[in-house]
Amino acid sequence: MKSSSAKDKPASASSPQPSTKAEQHPTREEEIRQLREENTRYARYIREKTNQLLQVMGTQSLKPEEFDDRELLSLDPIGIIAGAFEQVLEHLNDTIAELSEARDELQAIFDATGVGISIIDRDFCIVKCNEKQRELLVDSSIEEVAGRYCYNVYCNRDNPGLDCPALESFATGRPVTVREVKKKDKYFQVISTPFAIDAEGEVTRVIEVAMDITDKRLAELEQERQRGYYLTEKLKFATVIESLSEGLLVTDASNRIVSANTAAGKITGQDQQQMLGADLFSLLPVAANQLGGKDLQQGENVEHLEITHAGSGGDRILAINAVLLKDSETTPIGRVLTIRDITEEKQRREALFRAEKLAAVGQLSAGLAHELNTPLGSILGYARLLLRQDNFTDQQRDRLNLIAQQAKKSSAIIQGLLNFARVSSTTTKAGEAGCYPGRVIAEANKVLAAEFEQRGITVNTRLDADEAVAIDAKQLEQVIVNMLLNSMQAMKATGGTITITTDVRGNRLQLSITDDGPGIPQEVQSRIFDPFFTTKEVGEGTGLGLSICSGIINEFGGAIDVYSEEGRGTTFTITLPLEKKS
Amino acid sequence: MTDSKETARETEGEIELDILGQVCPACLLVVLQTINDHRAELKSGKTRLVIKTDHRDSTRTIPESAGKMGYDAAVKKKGNHYEIIIGKG
Repeated sequence: MKSSSAKDKPASASSPQPSTKAEQHPTREEEIRQLREENTRYARYIREKTNQLLQVMGTQSLKPEEFDDRELLSLDPIGIIAGAFEQVLEHLNDTIAELSEARDELQAIFDATGVGISIIDRDFCIVKCNEKQRELLVDSSIEEVAGRYCYNVYCNRDNPGLDCPALESFATGRPVTVREVKKKDKYFQVISTPFAIDAEGEVTRVIEVAMDITDKRLAELEQERQRGYYLTEKLKFATVIESLSEGLLVTDASNRIVSANTAAGKITGQDQQQMLGADLFSLLPVAANQLGGKDLQQGENVEHLEITHAGSGGDRILAINAVLLKDSETTPIGRVLTIRDITEEKQRREALFRAEKLAAVGQLSAGLAHELNTPLGSILGYARLLLRQDNFTDQQRDRLNLIAQQAKKSSAIIQGLLNFARVSSTTTKAGEAGCYPGRVIAEANKVLAAEFEQRGITVNTRLDADEAVAIDAKQLEQVIVNMLLNSMQAMKATGGTITITTDVRGNRLQLSITDDGPGIPQEVQSRIFDPFFTTKEVGEGTGLGLSICSGIINEFGGAIDVYSEEGRGTTFTITLPLEKKS
Repeated sequence: MTDSKETARETEGEIELDILGQVCPACLLVVLQTINDHRAELKSGKTRLVIKTDHRDSTRTIPESAGKMGYDAAVKKKGNHYEIIIGKG
């Protein structure tokens, strides 16, 4: 210690022996005085040195009143402080040993770590880098990297780019992470952290850590590719579903609709978006029982379930296929329903069935009529011949009249059958040119005018269109007369009004005959066009009139529909194609 | 020197040093002397030194010096005085 060097000692203390002649023979008192003075000088010296040492220890100087010289000397302050310094030194040596060990450990970590580490100074020169960094980011042709520019060695550039993390760390003093540096066909994440700061607070060195994230990045790229693939497939699937003309509904385990296409909304008459989340059986209550009820566990696959659905535009007939959706453990988790509106299809099918039935009845009728016509002619002829004789009693003559009358009636029925057979089985004849419904209606009215007047029936005709239709005029007249007769007979003797209207819809003419009679009961409306079906009293009608009318109109590519409400009247609507203009 | 004199009392695992009434740097010298005298026990961690002082500066100088010498130090306020504990953790 400096305090123990010879030059710091007081002059008197370094040479305490007497040196002058005057001091060679001191008296005893003089000697005692000199010794005291020397003691005082020694005590002062020790006090000064002690104070110096105390300052080193970080405390204040000794105060004279605290220790007198004797107490100070007996305390041996220098000895105490020397002992303390010895321990300080020992502790420093221990600390240095620990630091040295820690440095070795850090070096081992630095070399053995799985990430690349390099230390870069403010001039972007590499101070140091580990083997991993060399392996990851340094070209094998470069032998020594220390002292070279990091942007040159790591990034193959002539200056640090704007995306350089070290540049930002030097500027901001904050750690910076750069994702995805690509080199040697690998992806890296680089983190730059301030490492050393100078007295002005400026970052002088940064530590850069490079992590190989190639596997992770490739997995991410693969994931992105798969996500893109699935999104494309999903979009394709959604487009396919949307393009279906059939309605498609998907429900979850609690029968809530989770997916619905546009056709489903259109068919059920609901808003497509509002259907989502709605209860399936609130939408299609009629289907609940047939689909196994609300409990999905009881549900089963159903094919072609026909239901009548009350849509906004009236009742529609829907055909439903339902398939249970199951998870990997075959537990039902929902349903897929495909829905078709088969209203028109069914009507067409029924019309075809009716036409086939009519054709069959027509053929049978033709054969029957042909076979019965000749014997009936004989019965009638002979009955009339017999009636010319005058040798019969009145009773016999009455009976002969009855035979002739009934034979005539039978003949009329047979004539009706022949008419029916003719329209049902013959090929379609082209209508004569110039069949104007107005003219035909007028002719028909003329035929029945007397009857109408007699029964108190008013006929109103309103022709909004009178364009030529493609039908034989005489056959159309037969149809209209038949319709008017039906209306007239339905109104019986009470009188009433018959209204005839025409209208053009596209390339078809619509002719309606409306009466205010009693109407046709709902339950028989579907059968009124069937042959031999009649609501008239026995003997009043053959049940062939409307069948024949329907046959004629169908033959010319038209249709007859009926709308009737009991107590309010009936409307027959004949639709016929307009004659093509040449 | 003041009239107050330090008293040291040793029990197993603990040396109690009462320097109430003493001020720096006398306090520090006394403490350093005690540490020197019991260096081996204190270094081994078997014994700790508990100092009672009412001199505020000592709560700074004593822990600092003890720290430089490789000891752990803790200061607690106990009523009108401080208790400085020195030992090895």
